Amino acid sequence: MKIEAIDYGDRRVYSVGAFNRGVASWLARLPTVWVEGEVTELRRQARWASVFFTLKDPAEGACLGVSMPRGQFDALRLELADGDRVHVYGRPELFEARGEFRLRALSLERFGLGDHLAALERLKQKLAAEGLFAPERKRPLPFLPRRIGLVTGNDAAAKRDVLTTLTARFPPANVLVGETYVQGPRAAGAIIETMRALCRESDVDVIVLARGGGSFEDLLPFSDERLVRAIAACPVPVVSAVGHEQDTPLCDLAADARASTPSTAARLVVPDLAEVLQRLDRARAGLERGARRSLERERRKLDGAHERLDRAPRLLLERKRARLEHAAGRLKTLSPHATLERGYAIVRNEGAIVRSGSSVEPGQQVDVELAEGGFGAKVEETR
Amino acid sequence: MNDAPTFEAAQKELEEIVHRLESGEAPLDEALQLWQRGEELYRLCRERLDAAEGRIEELASRAEATKPA
Repeated sequence: MKIEAIDYGDRRVYSVGAFNRGVASWLARLPTVWVEGEVTELRRQARWASVFFTLKDPAEGACLGVSMPRGQFDALRLELADGDRVHVYGRPELFEARGEFRLRALSLERFGLGDHLAALERLKQKLAAEGLFAPERKRPLPFLPRRIGLVTGNDAAAKRDVLTTLTARFPPANVLVGETYVQGPRAAGAIIETMRALCRESDVDVIVLARGGGSFEDLLPFSDERLVRAIAACPVPVVSAVGHEQDTPLCDLAADARASTPSTAARLVVPDLAEVLQRLDRARAGLERGARRSLERERRKLDGAHERLDRAPRLLLERKRARLEHAAGRLKTLSPHATLERGYAIVRNEGAIVRSGSSVEPGQQVDVELAEGGFGAKVEETR
Repeated sequence: MNDAPTFEAAQKELEEIVHRLESGEAPLDEALQLWQRGEELYRLCRERLDAAEGRIEELASRAEATKPA
């Protein structure tokens, strides 16, 4: 298309109509796309050829005008109301008479709860595949946080529940409250900002994200991909207490601990002071008992050793004496006297023991020794 | 032996002496010497235990004094 311009010297100037026509023809070359948003300001009149509405980005609040031929719109029987989520298939166009940019809808589909759930499920699968929900990523909560960062809505029952339980269990708890939007298009970004701000404060050892129950749509910001990623990347552990037991916003999966209610979250974050003191007392008592017990054990062992030490030399002496007696007994058995007792006699000839008949001669005088005494004798004959 | 042995070392030596005496293998002269050494070690261990007990009592009374009401 040729766009007419007027030349004033070296300046090219377009009429408004020509300019709009030019932009419109350029826009018309853009491809047809699907756009998702919330329907607001729906305007439909019987005498208009088109139906108009504004498509709004629920996360960012950005707006886009949409037009659709009325006959086509009515044929869909969508009965759209403000706030309904839709997918619009169309191409960008410029309404030349007013220089207004809008999306020319060729088709329109309601994006329902089921679609939301499917989209959430896809996001969940994607993040799970990245390992964002892996159990080994979960960090243990500090036993005694120096400071607790609480992210919650202002004037929310959830906030009150967390604070009440925290102070009941652990009166010296130090809590830093970050109030933020917990619902609506700005919530996800605001929650991330608040979380980051709390983490920048000194001594904050744990973050509690608390929000009471709400509709599926109310809790959607807590499944926002940016928020889920921010929780996984948070420098300190995060406890998520969002919605009720049956809700599982994705932030719950990325958090280091999940609590079904705000007061449960508080119980996870601080120990019961009275119980801790009691345990400490018991430990101290055990300490003393343990020291005494080990002393007693050593004393008994030592006493046992001492008793044995005292007994041992006497036993040793007894044993040596017994051995001596034994030796004496054997000595006695081996002496010639014992042999004489059995009826033998020793014959001596001039002091020398007679062992053979040939060593004496008849008529010779010999001396006979018996067990008891002895006598002199004369040799009668030799053999 | 100038350095006083630790409680554990003294106790170990004492038990070894008792064992040797009880085995009856020691010559009499050595046995008497061992006995004397054993008595020395026993006294040393006793002193250590008594000192430890005194320390326990001291700590216990101090703990009692600092107990929260």
